[in-house]
Amino acid sequence: MFQNFRLSMAWLHTWFGLVLGFVLIVVFFFGAMSVFDREIDRWSIPASRFEPQPMPSFDKLLRPIFEDMQPLEPARAAMRDHVNGPLPDKFTVPSSWGAYTTHRDPVLSLFVGYEVPNAKLPETNIFALRTVDPRNGTALPDDRLKVGSGFFYPLHYSLTLEWKNLGYWIVGFAALMMLVGLVTGVVMHRKLFRELFTFRPNKSTQRSMLDMHNLTGVVALPFHFFFAFTGLVIFAGIYFPVAHTQLEPLHEQHEVIDAQKTGLPHDRAGVAAPIASVDAMVAEAQRRWAAKGMAGDVGFLSLVHVGDRNGYVSVYRAGTDRIALTGEGIHFKASTGELLREDPPPTVVGRINEFLTGLHLQHFRHWLLRWLYVLGGLLGCVCIATGFLFFVEKRKRQHAKQHSNGARLVDALAVTTVTGMLIAALGIMIANRLLPDVMPAGWPWRGDMEQYCFWGVWALAMAHAFWRTAPVAEGHLAPAWREQCLAIAVLAVVAPVLNWITTGDHLLRTIGNGYWPVAGIDLFMLTSAGIALLAARKLKQRVAVDAHANVTRAEVNHA
Amino acid sequence: MATVTVSRLHIASRAAAAILGGYAFTWGAIVFGAALLVAAGMDFHDAEHLASIVGFLIFLTAFLSAFGVRQLQRVWLVLLGGGALMTAAASLLQSQLV
Amino acid sequence: MLDSLMLLAALLVCAAGMGWFALSMDVHWEQVRGKAPHPRALVKTLRVLGAAALFVSLVLCLAVDSASMAVLVWLMAVAGAAVAIAFTLTWRARALSVLVFWAGPARR
Repeated sequence: MFQNFRLSMAWLHTWFGLVLGFVLIVVFFFGAMSVFDREIDRWSIPASRFEPQPMPSFDKLLRPIFEDMQPLEPARAAMRDHVNGPLPDKFTVPSSWGAYTTHRDPVLSLFVGYEVPNAKLPETNIFALRTVDPRNGTALPDDRLKVGSGFFYPLHYSLTLEWKNLGYWIVGFAALMMLVGLVTGVVMHRKLFRELFTFRPNKSTQRSMLDMHNLTGVVALPFHFFFAFTGLVIFAGIYFPVAHTQLEPLHEQHEVIDAQKTGLPHDRAGVAAPIASVDAMVAEAQRRWAAKGMAGDVGFLSLVHVGDRNGYVSVYRAGTDRIALTGEGIHFKASTGELLREDPPPTVVGRINEFLTGLHLQHFRHWLLRWLYVLGGLLGCVCIATGFLFFVEKRKRQHAKQHSNGARLVDALAVTTVTGMLIAALGIMIANRLLPDVMPAGWPWRGDMEQYCFWGVWALAMAHAFWRTAPVAEGHLAPAWREQCLAIAVLAVVAPVLNWITTGDHLLRTIGNGYWPVAGIDLFMLTSAGIALLAARKLKQRVAVDAHANVTRAEVNHA
Repeated sequence: MATVTVSRLHIASRAAAAILGGYAFTWGAIVFGAALLVAAGMDFHDAEHLASIVGFLIFLTAFLSAFGVRQLQRVWLVLLGGGALMTAAASLLQSQLV
Repeated sequence: MLDSLMLLAALLVCAAGMGWFALSMDVHWEQVRGKAPHPRALVKTLRVLGAAALFVSLVLCLAVDSASMAVLVWLMAVAGAAVAIAFTLTWRARALSVLVFWAGPARR
């Protein structure tokens, strides 16, 4: 199999593509969903279904909230292993306060980093998190799950496997294998341009699956390559943590130089000081941006070394009109409001890095581009799924003769990660509407329950997949595919109906009010139901063809 | 077409060379590249970012060559040896800079 | 409003461009036009039209957004257009005849 370059690349594409494909389809699908993560948040937390708001007043609204915030039990539990001794009931030394918003967020995310006394490692911080309504400061209950930005999105980049960053490493390796798959695919696919528009569904399943695999892989090749590549660049610090290991001396040297150059103190002075009007500082920052011809909204506001003489306030501009995320940071002395520093324009490398990360993380305002990103992500999913189907189709008859279960195993895993994954995603949306608003005492938080439902439904789908792919071992089409397509068709209608029943927001109302975040999600699910139903119908026809072919084959064999 | 079966050990060795050898080679390229760029006057974080960006493309190339190059021994030699050399060179360069 | 119209135009022009590229290939010409003649001069014209359309599409994108965003929009539009043309060729090939309206009737 390694006799020549093309065969080696083909082997690599087949086997590493197959194994990592099961991870990649999850990453691609939930990545596509994450494009509209904040819209999914609004669907899943009806209390947040209002219009996006600008950053509210720090002095009047945010400051009392920051002063009130304390880390919640999950953060405390995670910190216990990192301290020598007990954790205090109340943390009192805040190292940083931060508020973050984008043009798509109705609610505001706040965080407070507290110093941890008796910590094993220096500079250890514990974080308090809260989400508030920016119009009046009321907090969202802590036990809500932001199904989009709080679940689908972390699932996309880490499979929610936090232990020792294992999930990040698996996704990272899968991303590298995506790049390998794209290059090896191009090496294998001789007729790249000639077959660019070729899709022949009337030929054998094997041929049409390969056509679709090639089509979806090639037309969005720049997209697939860039997203896998920029994903790796974003987490480069995890995969190659050079600055904190081998190159730590250079890193430390830089930190000292940086602190001197920017005038932003690295440590507390240990002397208490008041906080001047932050609203005035924000206004000044916005005035300076406008003076440079870059008027804009505040994307990120932070206060470091809170309450100390060395404290400083940083105001960053939201990157809604460009690829870069946030920028044009302006820093003020917290106790007086005096300007400390205006961030200079980024260096060439800084600009390249900002472009690459911003391209992936999409904080820009551009609805067409967002939908095109969803298209790209779904094309990637189709590419991977048709890869699985081609693999099985090519081998199942041969495996049946050899009494091997290989093709069956792959088909079962394919059902699990294609239709099974969709069923799980719909499952959490439905659980979100059906679970009681407050869980009874002794039960896990509502947000945690929703996640358990997701994994539980996926496990059930997997069990069904393994059970109902038995015919593949005989070289036939598995009924699991059609059955799960029908399940998707049903669930994808149930979810919007439940939205209507439990919140009163039915499509006529949401479209009538122009409330597209919720209308869009409902429409997306209903469209999916339609597609799933069409697929189920096609599969029924295929079963008939398959059965006919087998009868004919049996007759030929007997003759 | 005559099929040549390859032993499981050979496949495992190629995979290990691609993953582990590739990682070692890439680490070396990143630390050495970053140190060189800092020595040339670039800001540390910029150097780290640029070296990492190029590094992933190097990892991709190393991975493909671990399967594309005929002689497996050569693959191991270049990836591990090259990685070790560049890593050592980076530390040497760093000691001159700090 | 103008921006939305220009982006819509960019998408349509892109689709036409990919359609012209497809029609420059024998196998797809036959799907759309049957046995109608497919001379080399026409093939060349179609390729030029395709390239021109993609270029116009890019210009339209650049008129709406900053360069970095416009290029991304354009690349994704090309991908979407390619898929749309591929599916049209599979299921409604004859609809693409409109792209070569000057070349006379199809021959089945």
